[in-house]
Amino acid sequence: MYISINWIKDFVDLNGIDVDDLIKRFALSTAEVEGVQKHGDNLSGIIVGKIMKVEEIAESKKLHKLDVFDGKENVQVMCGAPNVREGMLVPFAPVGSVVQGINIGKATLAGYDSFGMCMSEKELGISDDHAGLMELYDVEPGTAIKDIMDIDDIVFEVDNKSLTNRPDLWGHYGIAREIAAITGRELKALEVEDLEKYSNLAKLNINIEDKEKCLRYTSMAVENISKHVSPINMRIRLYYTGSRGINLLADLTNYIMLELGQPMHAFDKSLISNINVKSLVEDTEFVTLDSNKRILPKDSLVICNDNTPVAIAGIMGGENTEIKDSTNSLFLESANFDPTAIRKTAIKLGLRTDASARYEKTLDPELTVLAIARFIKLLKDIDENVQVVSALTDVYAKKYPHIQIEITYDYIIKRIGENIPQEKMVSILKSLGFGVQETGSTMLVDVPSYRATKDVSIKADLVEEIARIYGYDNITPQTKNMELEIVRQDEEKTNDYVIKDLLAEKYNMSEVHSYVWYDTKKNKELNIKTEDNIKIINSIDAENSTLRSTMIPTLLCMLEKNIKYMSDVSIFEIGKVWSYPVKNKNCIENKNLGIILASKKKSEEELLNTALQSVHNIVTLTKNVQVTFKDMQDFTKHNWLNPVNSSSIFAQDRNIGYISILNLGIKNAIDKKLNCVLVEIYLDELNSLEKVQRKAQDVSKYQTVTFDLSFITSNTTKFEVLKNIIENTKTEYLASYELVDIFEDSEKLKDKKSVTIRFVLSSDEHTLTSEEIAKDRESILKAFEANEILIRE
Amino acid sequence: MEEKLNNIKREIETKINEADSLQKIEEIRVEAFGKKSLLANISKEMGSLSVEEKPKVGKMVNEVRQALEAMFQAKKMELEEKALELAMKSSKKYDMTLPINGETGSLHPITMVQRELEDIFKSMGFTVEDGSEVETEYNNFEAVNVPKYHPARDMQDTYWLENGELLKTQTSAAQNKIMKKYGAPLKAIFPGRCFRNEELDASHENTFFQLEGMMIDEDISVANLIYFMKNMLSEVFKKDLEVRLRPGFFPFVEPGFELDVSCMYCGGKGCKVCKQGGWIELCPCGLIHPKVLEMGGIDPEKYTGFAFGLGLSRLAMMKYGINDLRILNSGDLRYLKQLGNK
Repeated sequence: MYISINWIKDFVDLNGIDVDDLIKRFALSTAEVEGVQKHGDNLSGIIVGKIMKVEEIAESKKLHKLDVFDGKENVQVMCGAPNVREGMLVPFAPVGSVVQGINIGKATLAGYDSFGMCMSEKELGISDDHAGLMELYDVEPGTAIKDIMDIDDIVFEVDNKSLTNRPDLWGHYGIAREIAAITGRELKALEVEDLEKYSNLAKLNINIEDKEKCLRYTSMAVENISKHVSPINMRIRLYYTGSRGINLLADLTNYIMLELGQPMHAFDKSLISNINVKSLVEDTEFVTLDSNKRILPKDSLVICNDNTPVAIAGIMGGENTEIKDSTNSLFLESANFDPTAIRKTAIKLGLRTDASARYEKTLDPELTVLAIARFIKLLKDIDENVQVVSALTDVYAKKYPHIQIEITYDYIIKRIGENIPQEKMVSILKSLGFGVQETGSTMLVDVPSYRATKDVSIKADLVEEIARIYGYDNITPQTKNMELEIVRQDEEKTNDYVIKDLLAEKYNMSEVHSYVWYDTKKNKELNIKTEDNIKIINSIDAENSTLRSTMIPTLLCMLEKNIKYMSDVSIFEIGKVWSYPVKNKNCIENKNLGIILASKKKSEEELLNTALQSVHNIVTLTKNVQVTFKDMQDFTKHNWLNPVNSSSIFAQDRNIGYISILNLGIKNAIDKKLNCVLVEIYLDELNSLEKVQRKAQDVSKYQTVTFDLSFITSNTTKFEVLKNIIENTKTEYLASYELVDIFEDSEKLKDKKSVTIRFVLSSDEHTLTSEEIAKDRESILKAFEANEILIRE
Repeated sequence: MEEKLNNIKREIETKINEADSLQKIEEIRVEAFGKKSLLANISKEMGSLSVEEKPKVGKMVNEVRQALEAMFQAKKMELEEKALELAMKSSKKYDMTLPINGETGSLHPITMVQRELEDIFKSMGFTVEDGSEVETEYNNFEAVNVPKYHPARDMQDTYWLENGELLKTQTSAAQNKIMKKYGAPLKAIFPGRCFRNEELDASHENTFFQLEGMMIDEDISVANLIYFMKNMLSEVFKKDLEVRLRPGFFPFVEPGFELDVSCMYCGGKGCKVCKQGGWIELCPCGLIHPKVLEMGGIDPEKYTGFAFGLGLSRLAMMKYGINDLRILNSGDLRYLKQLGNK
């Protein structure tokens, strides 16, 4: 919202106050200021000129040669405006004046000298009208233009969002009240018409049918309107504050709204007989005054003349009763509606207007009469012939309760943390219009109606009023002593960081963030199939509206994006995934880790080994438990799983994720030369495992003995088989064993392979004798023989 | 005898002096001190000497032997050193200027900024909580004092889900749960991913990170909030910053503030970043609204508290000089790899 300082000066004397400084203080005490414009700054030396003579010239059809009287003499001016005429009074920029920051000098047009320019309203910066010269009336040539028009003004823009909870600040008078409080100056009373004197006239016919949605409907009728153009200074104010002149009556309703925050509507009185405010029982077609045909949804609140809608309450009037430039009688509406009802209809219609924006903020219903009294006053000032033809007709269906708040000084001081003197608190509240009765250390505060609709209702609200006008800058920062307490940190959170560090630092992977919804278009391109899941219903981008239930698809899309630029892509993400098992019930949120290792250089086996190792490290570092990999039973669950090479990951008998080589179909769609392994870990499952505490174990003081054995097995036999044999063999001194080598040779060994394992024997009590060693070796050999596995000599 | 001994000494001395390799000196050792050496012979000959002469000559032989051995050791050490030097000089010379594959992985900029902030807050005794991303309408709006059809809902375009839940629009959505979990007094932060249904451009993202914090105790005041924010933000930016409060409307706080910090780039003098104003708008904050405390099961007459929200995505952009918000969710490793090391 734009605020004109000239307008504010109608209500607060700003003499001796630096306006720039005032705007800064306003921003610190009241609401955010988005910018300041200084109108008239780049315009000087403009005077009234009288066009004495208009001559056509042979060289141009458009240009005229003028004699312009500047109050002292006639000067020659070349002018291209279409409405130029002899005897016309116009704004004139003589040589030496400044227009839009440019110095006006002698110019030559079509070969003729031109000493200055005649100006349009747009060139003066007071409207968008550039159709022709601005015409002036009843002024002496040579008069400085700024003496007859308020061109100089400072206008600041207040951020509307920061006024969401301040219905009283949606007009200049409310802002002036704040400025009076901030500067400690007096707020002048609004000049209004005494409406009492019309009380003998007949009332208008007004009925409020829906008393929940229409709180108050106030109205008055006026006839014999002869003027149709607003005074120039009113039009300038409207223009500077973002509106635009239409005709006197429309301008006046806008002017009142910008001054008091109260929207008004002017109907052509000849078209209104009985007003009824009601909610629609069915969808109804209606043409608004912007000439758009709209379907008003059922339940919308409308103003009807008899049974015909003539306005959408609080939003926009209808074309059928619109006032024209020629309208000379007026039915004036000043009403108050339920904010939620207006908001709902405005949202449904997609029609937000200056009026609806104000009603949504919960306006003070007390304003309706004031607005009419002000309107009549201004109208009569402009057009003395107008006649008020009705009594004030006011139907007040629902009042907001009067609010009183009892508060102690101590409460306020404790909340602010600053020892503000009591008199200061009282004077601040009074300057903002609050009533204060003091008893000892307690205040009984009456909240003025314009703050009582929702804004101020509790003690904390009064604390804010006092603190902000006192000035947040004047509060001394204070530390706070709190009791010493142990703060336990979340282990799951710590684990996330352990995993992230591990993958980034040991495995050179890069952490990414992907969106939480699938890119269905991309998925299709890459042959990625995802299961149906819960959807966003109002996404701007409808293709990206299914929430992910697994981390892999979004990561695969990122792989595809990156592999164009690099030959290795190792990425991971810890993110949320959702399942939606029961329709219309809450969905279930889980945290998963996804890993993609892809390369155009490394082999599948290399990548797989890295992936397996990283999974092993993750589980050991976070829980210190054993991890096992079992062939995946249901590899059809996701179409990125590889039917031959995919395993479920288990720890403490719980399935904590899976690992797989990327399915060929997707791989080929991304890049045929690619090798890719993927891992998904269900972190909530991992986190639910019991952590095994590490304990130190004594290291043997005696020498260890190692020997290698090579076993011949089928080349499809898994290492797990050998491992199980070893672990089930009873030995006396076997301390550990490790895989040394796997040897495959299609010529010599055919479909077999040789697996070499190193065994380590040791004792904590003595050095092993050759008999002891031989005995354990024998037990191992026998165990393998029993499983029909040959030993290679 | 004595002369013979001296001759032997001189002879061996010459040989030691002339030795020029470890192999030679080893030969000399055998020749001079071995069982068949000249010195050994002399010792054997001593059997024929008189009783008076025996100790005298014996002593002489010993002296010569010791002198020669010392000389021998010195020479041997000298030769060993020379040999080492030679070996080193002839060792392979490596090219240390070859290009290096020094690549490590990378953490996401948000992770790094978030962890840094969490550490600061932990050091001040705050609990770090993780919120959900899908939330109920109640937690996201009602519980933070934004009833249905409240105009404040306009400030945020919400992603609604088909079951009536939503993607949380603000970290404040966790306030209610955390108050119920811990009660008062309470010091907690809750970073998290938030969502707004809007078109993307360089400064707008539909997915971004915030970090919200709360401190609740008896008699927490605006003065405490200013003190805390000033110290906390100075630590975050590693600079002594000034803060100022302006009124700001957020339904879950009363009074509510917009907090500005003195510009960390120009120190408040005015520059391009702060648009010459000397201040940068950084975070919304305020005293927690009594209704919000009450809905969280905390007595608003007994306790007060403050809450604040920091834009993690924005902080990451400021810290790493990222000029397009969309980079954070792009997964583009050409960017992320540059940034992601601690």
